[in-house]
Amino acid sequence: MAGGGGKANMKPLGGVHRLREEHEKVVKDCDSRIQHWMKVSGDYDALSDRLKTLPDRLSYDIMVPFGPLAFTPGKLVRTNEVTVLLGDNWFAKCSAKQAQAVVDHRMKHVKKELDDLAKTRKNFEARVGLAKDLETMSANKGEFVDIREEVTSSTASKGKQRIAHKPNSKPKLDVVVDLNEEEEEKEGGTGTMTEEELWRRLDELERLEELQDEQDRLSDTADTNGDDSSSSSSEEEKEAACAPPVNGLKPGWSPAPHSDPPLPNRKAEDDEQEEEGSCLPTIFFSHTVEPKKVRINTGKNTTLKFSERKEQKEHSKRKKKNGHSNGHAHHELHKITSPADVYRLFVDVRNGEPVPRKSILKSRSRENSVCSDTSESSAADFEERRVTGRSFSHDEATHSDTSDGVTEEDSPTAGPLLSRFEAFSGTVIEKDPMPTGVPHLTILPPALPTIPERKQEEVASDVTPPPVPPEASKRLSKFKAARLQQK
Amino acid sequence: MADAIQKKLKAELEKYSQVQKDVSKSMSVRQKLETQLTENNIVKEELDLLDSSNTIYKLIGPVLVKQDLDEAKATVTKRLEYINGEIQRYETLLKDMEKRADDHREVLTSLQQELHKAQGRTGGKI
Repeated sequence: MAGGGGKANMKPLGGVHRLREEHEKVVKDCDSRIQHWMKVSGDYDALSDRLKTLPDRLSYDIMVPFGPLAFTPGKLVRTNEVTVLLGDNWFAKCSAKQAQAVVDHRMKHVKKELDDLAKTRKNFEARVGLAKDLETMSANKGEFVDIREEVTSSTASKGKQRIAHKPNSKPKLDVVVDLNEEEEEKEGGTGTMTEEELWRRLDELERLEELQDEQDRLSDTADTNGDDSSSSSSEEEKEAACAPPVNGLKPGWSPAPHSDPPLPNRKAEDDEQEEEGSCLPTIFFSHTVEPKKVRINTGKNTTLKFSERKEQKEHSKRKKKNGHSNGHAHHELHKITSPADVYRLFVDVRNGEPVPRKSILKSRSRENSVCSDTSESSAADFEERRVTGRSFSHDEATHSDTSDGVTEEDSPTAGPLLSRFEAFSGTVIEKDPMPTGVPHLTILPPALPTIPERKQEEVASDVTPPPVPPEASKRLSKFKAARLQQK
Repeated sequence: MADAIQKKLKAELEKYSQVQKDVSKSMSVRQKLETQLTENNIVKEELDLLDSSNTIYKLIGPVLVKQDLDEAKATVTKRLEYINGEIQRYETLLKDMEKRADDHREVLTSLQQELHKAQGRTGGKI
C-alpha cells in the first residue's frame, strides 16, 4: 500500500515532467522547422536576386559542373528563359520575370509558414514555463498547499431544500394585505392633499412664519430698547384692537404681567389668532415707535425719564380695563406709530384752536406746545389740551402716558378701527374690510394730518361701525384670498 | 490461471500495438497528403500566374511531357480534389482506428488488473 501511495504521489510529478519534456520537444521541433524555413527563405531571396539580374546580359561565361569532380567552361545563353518546378512534378517554362513572380508567391507562403511556426513556438514556450512552475510547485510542498475538499453525497444533500416557486404562484397573503393598506393610505394622503390640504398647509406655514417673525422682533426690541414690557404691551394692545368689540377677552389674558418674556404673550396671540375669525387681516411689524422717544426729541426737556414702573402700572390698569370692557382696548393702540402721528401729536394751541406745528424739532414753550405724551409734569397742560383736543384727536388719549380711563372710554369705538390704517402702525392691512368709501389714512399727507383725518373718523364714528363680513375679516393670505376669489 | 491471463494479455498487446502501428501509418499518410495538398495548392496558384505563352511540362519518369496549360490546370484541380478526398478518408479511418485503440487499451488495463490479482493470489498462496 505504501508503494501505491508513493506511486500516486509521484505520478503527477512524473506527468508534469513528461509534459514539460513534450512541450520542450515541440518547441525544439518548431525551432528546427523555423531554421529550415529561414534557409528556404534565404534561398528564395538569392534566387530572386539572381532572376532579377539574369536577363541583364545576353550570355554568361560560367563553369558548368561536369560530374561530381570536374567543371567545364561553358556559356549561359537564353538568360530570360527559366524552367520552374512548380511542384508535384510540374514544370513550367517561363521568363525570368514570371519566375520572379513565382518566387514571390513562394516567399509569401514561406513567410506565412514562418509566422505560424513562431506562433506555435511561443505558445509552447509558455506551456513549458507553466510546466516548469508546476514542477517546482509540486516539488516544494512547503510553499504551496494543495487545497482539496472532498465532496461526498451526504454533504451534498445536507441542508434545507429550496423550493423553486413558479413565477405565477400567488404571493404571500399578509404581504398582499400590507400592500393594499399602504396603497389606501397613499390614496387617502395624496387624494385629499391635492388642493385643500395643500392650501391649509400653506396657510399654516405662513402663520408660523409670522409668529416666528414676531418672536424675533420681540426679542430684538427687548434687546435694543431695554424695556420689553412696553413693546409687549403694545403687542397686546394690538391684539386687543384686532379683537372685535363683541369678542370677550379671556380673563386669563388680561392680568398677564408685562414683564413676562414674550413667549407666553405669543401663545396668547396664537390663541387670539385662532379665536378671532372676524379680525382684520393684519400683519404685525416690529416697529413700535415709542412715545418716549418722540418726547426725547421734542426739545429742552428731553431728559424726562420714563419710569417703567409707572408704565407698568398703567399697563396693568389698562389690562384691567380691557378685562372689563375690551371695546376700548383699541384706543390704546393709537400711539405714535408713524411720522404722521408725530405731527398730529405736536400741536400748537392758538386761540384755543389746535394748529399743526411746522416743526417738532423747534423747542417752544411748554405752554404753547402740546405734547400728547407728556409726563406728569405737563399733566395740567395735557388735561387742558385734552378738553380742547378731544374733539379733533382721539388718538392723543391713547398716546398719552397719563391717559386715564375717562378718555379712553370717551373715544368712539369705530375710530380706532379706522385709525389703524396708518403707515407704520405696526400692522399692515392686506385687505380692506371697510367700505370703499372710506379712504386709507395712510394716503394722507403727513404735514396736516389731523383735520381731514378727524373728519373722516368723525364720519366713520357717526356711522355705526361697519359690519365686517366674516370671511373678509379673516386673516387672509394672498393665496387664500386668490383662492376665495376663484371660488 | 495467471499464465492464461498473461497469454491473453500478450495477444491483446500485440493487437494493440498493431492498431497503434496502423494509426501511425495512416497518420503519416495523412501528413503526406497534407503536404501534397499544400504543394498542389501552390502549383495551382502559380499556374494561375502563368499565361498561354508558357509551356508546361509534367515530369513523368525521366522525361518531361509537354502539357497544355488548361489541361495542366484541370489536372491539378482534379488532383486537389483527389487529395482532399483522401484526407477525408484517412480522417475517418484515423477516428475508427483510435476508437479501436481505446478499446484495446481498456481491455489491456482490465487484463493487467486481472493479472495483478492472479499474481497476488498466487503470491498469497506462496
